[in-house]
Amino acid sequence: MVAIKLENVSKIFFRQPLKRKYTTLRETLLHYFDWLKNRRKVRYIDALKDINLTIEKGEAIGIIGMNGSGKSTLLKLLAGIYKPDSGKVYIKGRVASLVGLGIGFHPGFTGRENIFINGIILGLSKKEIKRKFDDIVKFAELEDYIDDPVRIYSDGMFMRLGFSIATNVDPDILLIDEILAVGDEYFRHKCAEKITEFRKLGKTMVIVSHRLEAIEKWCDKAVWLNDGMIREIGIPSKVIDSYRNAIAQKEGKIPSERRSSEAPRSGTLKSARPD
Amino acid sequence: MFSNVIELYRCRALIMSLVLKEVKLRYQGSALGFLWTFLNPLLLMGIYTIVFSVFLRIKVENYPVFLFSALIPWVWFSTSILEGADSITRGGDLITRVLFPPQVLPTVTVFSNMINFVFSLPILFIFLLLFKVKIGGALIALPIVMIIQAVFTMGLVLMVSALNVHFRDIQHILGNLIIMWFFATPILYPLTSIPVKLRFITVINPMATLIKAYRDILFYRQFPNWLLLGIALCFGFLVFFLGSLIFNRYKESFPEEV
Repeated sequence: MVAIKLENVSKIFFRQPLKRKYTTLRETLLHYFDWLKNRRKVRYIDALKDINLTIEKGEAIGIIGMNGSGKSTLLKLLAGIYKPDSGKVYIKGRVASLVGLGIGFHPGFTGRENIFINGIILGLSKKEIKRKFDDIVKFAELEDYIDDPVRIYSDGMFMRLGFSIATNVDPDILLIDEILAVGDEYFRHKCAEKITEFRKLGKTMVIVSHRLEAIEKWCDKAVWLNDGMIREIGIPSKVIDSYRNAIAQKEGKIPSERRSSEAPRSGTLKSARPD
Repeated sequence: MFSNVIELYRCRALIMSLVLKEVKLRYQGSALGFLWTFLNPLLLMGIYTIVFSVFLRIKVENYPVFLFSALIPWVWFSTSILEGADSITRGGDLITRVLFPPQVLPTVTVFSNMINFVFSLPILFIFLLLFKVKIGGALIALPIVMIIQAVFTMGLVLMVSALNVHFRDIQHILGNLIIMWFFATPILYPLTSIPVKLRFITVINPMATLIKAYRDILFYRQFPNWLLLGIALCFGFLVFFLGSLIFNRYKESFPEEV
């Protein structure tokens, strides 16, 4: 059974510094005027180009690639946060994304209050949260701190709580973005166990990570994204090998060009803006 | 428009928990805490009373109560608009990193401010007692007026919050527009001070109708003018419809632009 299907999916981002280009009415009007005059000149990045990908239910897919290759964009499309500019995304089942942990957490509130707020944001009902509350606290190992404001938590505790809530959403499809490195060694092992458990339960998983060993260990298939296109897809060990080769080649032959040839990543553009 | 309403109804638990969070959060960490809900409008009332009743000598009996009955619904309206304008742009991770119905954020500002409004009603009642103005049975009409105001405010907040994502000028200019609107609405002065020729302004200003209705109910102990309220409701729906339209038009671009 197919869990996820992408058909000719493309996503573009406009490359103008958004903040400046669209802020004032006058500039927008001028922008439209310009746009009518020379449509071809609008600069944009193809974050994803014509992606075709089918993921069966229960499969674990690892996505690798360099910064700016479109991994996070792909994940956001799967999570439904972005809409594709062309093509179609089919998703079957409840999606949980372990993309940002602890979203909506407020430092002034206690861990208990934040579990409810975050849980509801992630799509749980109050009843479900009540039922799972003890499990969440237990997994995060925060029994002693749950009634303290999150403000006093260490970063590790914060992430643990976030991870614990997110994995308790009980999704059919799990999207994981580089969070396998949460907390200390001990908690990392617990996370690994949780992922293994999800695998056993037959959940579909899409994992984005730069830790290639993790991809090799957990995934049935790896997808190598390069410049917004699928460069290679197949058995993780094989794809990872060719990916490593490509990197070695790049480092060896054209080290100086690396920076300039790397496409600016959407995220980089965004974070470069003042807010 | 209906898709928005349905979506909002579907995530009412989310809205409720966020409204609660807002209300709790507002005065967390301040020494007087929750008392600020009462103190803020009281201080405002003090200032305006001195200026308009003592210095400018507006001839209205029981001016402080007269003013207060109009000031608190106005504070609900203006704070909702001002906070709502950048509710999406302040949304941060909620907009960019999780699948989250964005219309929830402007809604939360309107409702958390409504709760503040409701909380400041008891003070008004105390004042009414102090100034020996009796509380009238017209009070049952209050929820109706509040609903009309909520619809109208929601529409405006949806509009400005969505537009503010693309035109950040809005949050800057809005403060001035709201002040203008404040003075154009009979809050500090009775409707009768407006020259007859210019009174049509209040008919096309739903806030004038609503404020007048609050004052009728709370201060004059009489039922509001239903015809005018009906017109205000039509305005409210129109604005809500437009707001939804604009919001839906821009909705999908939020994760990329915030």
